[in-house]
Amino acid sequence: MKTHRNTKARFVFLLPAAIWVLTFTIFPLVYSLYISVHKVETKMNVSREKVPMLDASGNPVLDAKGNPRTKIKINREKISTWTNIGFTNFKRLVDDPQVHSAIKVTSIFVLVAVPSQLVLGILLALLFNQRLWARSFLRAVMLLPIFATPLAVGYLFFTIFYEEGGPLGFLGVPFLSNPDWALFSVILVDIWQWTPFCFLVFLAALQGIPNELMEAAKMESKSKWGLFANIIFPMLTPTIVIVLLLRLAEAIKLFDIPFALTGGGPGVATQSMSFLAFRTGLRYFDLGYASAMSYCLLIIVMIIVTLFFRKLRQSYA
Amino acid sequence: MKLFKSLGLFVSACLTCGIATAADHHVKWHDDGKVDLVMEDGTTISTTREELGSLFGPDQKPFDGVSISVTVNSGGPKGGISGPLYSFRPIWEELTGGKLEIVELPFGEHYTKMMLDLRNGTGQYDAFMVGAFWYGDIVPNGYAFPIDDFMTTGEYPQWTYDSMPQSLKTLHTWEGVGYGVLNDGDGQVLYYRRDALANPEWRAQFKKEYGYSMPVPPKTWQQMLDISNFFNGKNWDSNDPDPDSGTVLHLKVGEQGHYHFQSLSASFAITPGPELDQYHNVYWFDPTNMKPLINSPGHVAALEFLQELHKTGPSAQVGWSLGEAWDYFLRGKSVFVFSWGDVGSLCQDTSRSKIQGVCASSILPSSDTYYDHETKKFVKTTNPVKVGNTTGGSWHGVISNYSANPEATYSLLSLMAIKPASIWLAQNGWTGVDPGFTYQFLEPQGEAGLGDYLDAGWAEADVKDYLKAYYETFFADTFLPYLRIPGSFEYWDILDKNLSATMSGEISAKQALDSTAKTWEQITDRLGRDQQLGYYQSAIGYK
Repeated sequence: MKTHRNTKARFVFLLPAAIWVLTFTIFPLVYSLYISVHKVETKMNVSREKVPMLDASGNPVLDAKGNPRTKIKINREKISTWTNIGFTNFKRLVDDPQVHSAIKVTSIFVLVAVPSQLVLGILLALLFNQRLWARSFLRAVMLLPIFATPLAVGYLFFTIFYEEGGPLGFLGVPFLSNPDWALFSVILVDIWQWTPFCFLVFLAALQGIPNELMEAAKMESKSKWGLFANIIFPMLTPTIVIVLLLRLAEAIKLFDIPFALTGGGPGVATQSMSFLAFRTGLRYFDLGYASAMSYCLLIIVMIIVTLFFRKLRQSYA
Repeated sequence: MKLFKSLGLFVSACLTCGIATAADHHVKWHDDGKVDLVMEDGTTISTTREELGSLFGPDQKPFDGVSISVTVNSGGPKGGISGPLYSFRPIWEELTGGKLEIVELPFGEHYTKMMLDLRNGTGQYDAFMVGAFWYGDIVPNGYAFPIDDFMTTGEYPQWTYDSMPQSLKTLHTWEGVGYGVLNDGDGQVLYYRRDALANPEWRAQFKKEYGYSMPVPPKTWQQMLDISNFFNGKNWDSNDPDPDSGTVLHLKVGEQGHYHFQSLSASFAITPGPELDQYHNVYWFDPTNMKPLINSPGHVAALEFLQELHKTGPSAQVGWSLGEAWDYFLRGKSVFVFSWGDVGSLCQDTSRSKIQGVCASSILPSSDTYYDHETKKFVKTTNPVKVGNTTGGSWHGVISNYSANPEATYSLLSLMAIKPASIWLAQNGWTGVDPGFTYQFLEPQGEAGLGDYLDAGWAEADVKDYLKAYYETFFADTFLPYLRIPGSFEYWDILDKNLSATMSGEISAKQALDSTAKTWEQITDRLGRDQQLGYYQSAIGYK
């Protein structure tokens, strides 16, 4: 009897979470998969009729000449046609030069931005793990970029990178008008915004290394590099894998910064996969194709996550 | 002390009354049938009871308690297209008793938000200030409300399509049915610095370098490129000590940069002829089979020419939107810009412009060589035809079929379309409303008097050039056809991205246009070739 009640209680406690996951994760996943294998067309059939205009108490409204006023009533019938097209949308991905370009942009972005953030984050954490003048203040300042909205950051840097009379205009660098520089600018902004996050987590991890261990290691190790390579880095590895995983998953979804900073241009030089999926779905309303793109992105992210979790388990073992 | 207190109370009471009076009386009804519409800043537009329609009167509030919402490209209370809604809101609210919510959306988001509302049937918005190229996605799907019946009842503010040139009228209707309410007339013209091109020293130097007299205004694009090259890098403007440019362009992807290419390429890529047929007066697609023409040798030549022209301006313009390019010209930094009517009227705004009085305009030049689609050869001509255009959105109101209050919504849009309102809007650059209707052109082509424009702060030489340029642009014999078919937004977006890649040097002109044509074929096949062909033929008047 007691066991039965416990099971019931467990079920009740789990229900909200289950409803949440079903509504906001499982349903959209299934629905978008369904869309990706269909061609969706919507149309509206409309008829209109004139009906008497009535006031709040139901009496006819009269015009200046005392005649009853009329109002147009619109009768609408929305027609949605779903045509099964199999895996056509997935096949399109293979031949679409825009997809190829977006994959290239996203890959370059991920491969440059994420390692840079990790390396800078570790270096800063090592620096701030020592006695430093005004350390608390500087640490607080360092963290500020995390709290800014990426979209706002994009617009802010649009002003900073403005080539004619902008604060960096004197450098003569085509930050936004040259395809290579534009991608570099997007990477730079992302590094500026997310390095503090890496720094914060690494600093916490560094401060979690027992003092006794560090003292003993300092006595045994002849160089700082040896200390870092043999003690600190191995101790940080699980944290690095976690941060890498989080940053990779975020970076692959790159959207806000190019959206605000470059509009995906010049041309498609900064158009990421997420940006292309957004454009395809919500600008061209080719929902099936956009869903197929999103699925591909999801599969890539899942493969990476799985690989990293495996690595994480191994490092713990 | 008591006296001061009483005086203070009296003054504050007067002030309160004054504010209340100003706020409550945006409409003044006169006994002789005249009506003054007074804006927040005191600007008054005079109309008549007849022109306002029978629904409105001193004691009538025909839409009391009704709330409507209208979407518009964001620009704020003094922004282009959005500004007039703010100006007319208090007037309309007083006339009708209704409430107007203005929903500002960034240019890049407006279409998306509108389509989401319509496709999902949310009905959040009563009307949209649309670009004419959106018609293909909203009218055939049954999302737009036809307004012909409202126009004939006499109940609503009076305006007519007859005041529009045919080229603009077409953009407000679909298969003969009216959907759009008159507001803005878009087309691109050439703006140039009158003082620089008239300067005898520069003229002599130009003749020496190029071997012919500098034509003012340039008649061909090739002449314009020469002039642009000539002035680029020289400090010909005295507003600052730095070197100035030849031509400034707005080329940022997703920010209307492709319109430059459309307007410029028309005279390279259109084969002029007396009728529109498979080969003549066509630009976008072959009207017999929907095969794209966008990568024809004429189009490619035009894009290569645009690349050359781009070299005579600041390299940063690849990332510039309209505002940046316009400001560059208004600050006296370039000899040429070809853009919309906003530039001409912004030239007169001395808070923003240093070039009032020297801001000349003309119809766009033509190419001295065009591609003949029939013979598949380039033709060199000494007398190129002028090609008109309605490039742009001609932003205007269209009522949603999901609106619960189409009558109230129409009463707002039509109030802004009455003749005196429309004249006022065209005369004031910040409104973003460009001229295009008969009563906005000067006599003898139109009905407007020069004095009206001079009173509004225009320099005489500027306004004469400006209105002549627009008249010639909208009434030209040869015309750049407007693309109004389902998927126009997507077709243009693909073109825009490829053009931007070309202008930034990523790919060649031919690669860009070949890629565009290939993607257009896929779009056409996806949307249905036969359906698209039918709409295209109807849109360009192919029989």
